[in-house]
Amino acid sequence: MAEWEVLAARRDALRARKNALLTGAFGAVGLATVLLVFALVAIIAVNGAPTISWEFLTQPPREGMSAGGVGPMIFGSILLMLGAFVMATPLGVFGGVCLAEYGERSRLMRLMHASVAALAGTPPIVYGLFGLAIFVLKFHFGVSLLAGWCTLTLFCVPAIVLTTEAALKTVPAALIDGGLALGLSRWQTLWRIALPYALPGIFTGVILSLGRAVGEATPVLFTASVYYSTAETKLGWETLRQPVANLPYYLAEGYRQPGVVPERFIWGACLTLIMLTLLLNAGAILIRSRMRRRYL
Amino acid sequence: MWRIRLFDTLVQAATWAAGGLLLLTIVAVFYYLFAESQYAFQRQFPFGFRVALQSPDSEYRDEVSMDPTAGLLATHREGSDELDDAEDVTRLPAHDELMQMQSLVTATAQTDNPSQLRTDALFRDCMRAPKRAEQGERFLLLAFALPNYTGDTMVLAWEPDVSFDPAYCPYELRLRLIRAPKGVSVDPFEIDLRRQPKGRLELPVWKARSQDEWLQGYLFELEARPTTTTTWATLQQFLKADWAPTILYARFGMLPLLLATLLITLLSVGLATPLGLAAAVYLSEQASPRIREWFKPILEILAAIPTVVLGYFGVMLIAPALQQLFGEALQLSSGRGLLATALMMTVFILPTIISLSEDALRAVPNSLREGAEALGLTLVERVRLVLLPAAKSGLIAAGLLAIARVMGETMIVWILSGGTPTMPDFSSPTAALGTLVKPTRGIPDTIAIEMGNVEFESPHYGHLFLLGLTLFVLTLGINLLGFAYRKRAQVSL
Repeated sequence: MAEWEVLAARRDALRARKNALLTGAFGAVGLATVLLVFALVAIIAVNGAPTISWEFLTQPPREGMSAGGVGPMIFGSILLMLGAFVMATPLGVFGGVCLAEYGERSRLMRLMHASVAALAGTPPIVYGLFGLAIFVLKFHFGVSLLAGWCTLTLFCVPAIVLTTEAALKTVPAALIDGGLALGLSRWQTLWRIALPYALPGIFTGVILSLGRAVGEATPVLFTASVYYSTAETKLGWETLRQPVANLPYYLAEGYRQPGVVPERFIWGACLTLIMLTLLLNAGAILIRSRMRRRYL
Repeated sequence: MWRIRLFDTLVQAATWAAGGLLLLTIVAVFYYLFAESQYAFQRQFPFGFRVALQSPDSEYRDEVSMDPTAGLLATHREGSDELDDAEDVTRLPAHDELMQMQSLVTATAQTDNPSQLRTDALFRDCMRAPKRAEQGERFLLLAFALPNYTGDTMVLAWEPDVSFDPAYCPYELRLRLIRAPKGVSVDPFEIDLRRQPKGRLELPVWKARSQDEWLQGYLFELEARPTTTTTWATLQQFLKADWAPTILYARFGMLPLLLATLLITLLSVGLATPLGLAAAVYLSEQASPRIREWFKPILEILAAIPTVVLGYFGVMLIAPALQQLFGEALQLSSGRGLLATALMMTVFILPTIISLSEDALRAVPNSLREGAEALGLTLVERVRLVLLPAAKSGLIAAGLLAIARVMGETMIVWILSGGTPTMPDFSSPTAALGTLVKPTRGIPDTIAIEMGNVEFESPHYGHLFLLGLTLFVLTLGINLLGFAYRKRAQVSL
């Protein structure tokens, strides 16, 4: 064998070894990430599961938060989420339609696209401050469910807009052209063809951003939260003007005043909150897989 | 036909309304954060000095604040309402009574006009409401000995009030002699209290034989002359290194908060980027479609774990581990601090980085991959030489988005940072290690913690909005840059 062949073979062996080492490392990192997720969920499940009972999920706290359950907090979290869902979905979807339809046509639209992207990355605490300044103080909603709904809506909308826009972009041009060729107006095409096609994608986006909203304490921290009120939770018009207890705030306060809430309650509330978000996520995954089945 | 047209119009109107609202939102966020932060600029700048006439060998010579006869010349809120006036401000007793209590007297009046001094309206302390930085202030101070004083000389001693730092004062502060008593020859002098906040000055003795002669003693004035406007002073102090908003002489220097936030961001994104990139490369280049199908939902689970819960995790797992490691060497009371926060932040941001980087890598056209493979490059070489350069814009966009999200994340920092504003110190290895493991505090958690018990529309409240505005502007810039890179990624591919 000539000298250069030996050298080349040695170099190739070195390259192959380096390749094997690094690709192995990539895989290991991927595996580690998965293990991390399982470990986190498992630790919460193991610590939280003994606390979960029908009483814990439905009863209000008693004896200075040290007994009873977290019923009102779960109820409040769901209430906040539902209101945000009702308000944010139409806004976000129509905003997404606006972006997708008018796209990059004018300077105004480009500005809008940039501002939506920027809003989607704006920290939740900034939304909390904004909600405090405008809804709580300027509009005199007070610290209330209504102010919380409005703030959470603003927090959710940009993400929904972006996913809607992305989902609408996946609609095949042939479908749109077909609709137009059949004599449908532009908005009929949108309403009857593009939106139904994109609906599963849009819904996934909506649910994922709601999942983020329900676990996020900061937007409602100053706008809607109360640690726990002894007033009985009754649904009515008055509820709109009253602050609501919610799970993330319960956890945050539980941390801020150590020793008040027993640790097993905190783990239990962690597990409940995760179950709530995971339930939403599972819904999103289900919808996505059904979408695939329908069109592929 | 008209129904279709009406329908068209309605949908179009709704679309434009939603679009307009979005555009309005960002303007409104800007406007309201800005508007509320105006309350920061209504802050006032209190200052305070203790002044005492002492005998040269006084036992309080090193600590004027301990001297029971020292007077306080101060502008701060306590003492400006009537209740505290009565409590804090002591009237001088009559001459004979005073003689039994002390032999050297400093006295002050509420007036700043020498001709309006009255013997029956002299006080030990003078407190006034703090003023804005544009407004000056003048205190008069009488000093004399009583006939029972036996020393040859007497000493004027002064010192800043507890927790008052002249460096934080937007005034030129001068203590000067405006009138010496008759028959005493003293050169007129003027002391710059900002340069020499604490000091002593020997004076010839002058005795007041009766109450009527009180007013003929040494007459000093403490003059505060503004050096700048309130707006400018507020901004200057906002950039200083001390955050202590609830003490008497409040300090609103956000530098330690900003640096902590930036350090946490740097550490966690620096840690999460290589890890995330590795996992993304695995996912997009090595993993089979089935593994990928499983991986994405699992990542979404991680992304869906609420940050409050992640924060608890840090408290339960990371902080105790850190305390065991460094607790004894550095006298830590808990493992909460910058490093614990940054580690948990890494977990928080990892799914975002992985999924965005994977998207960026998968957007690289297959022709490039196949070309590189045809050249005989190994996978690692393909990634390094072809895929990463091709996906560069998308990867940078992913990194920028991650930075913006970490900077604004509140609950993890709130729960894990320990809550003490600390200036990072990297002057020595020990100091650097201390900076990493000791408690700290960032911008978002400061807003969250302090907004709960702040008085609305007070300067403190305004400063919290100013912090929010800072955070908003920072993340806005980063997000827009990320948006530009994402666009470029779409155009170039």
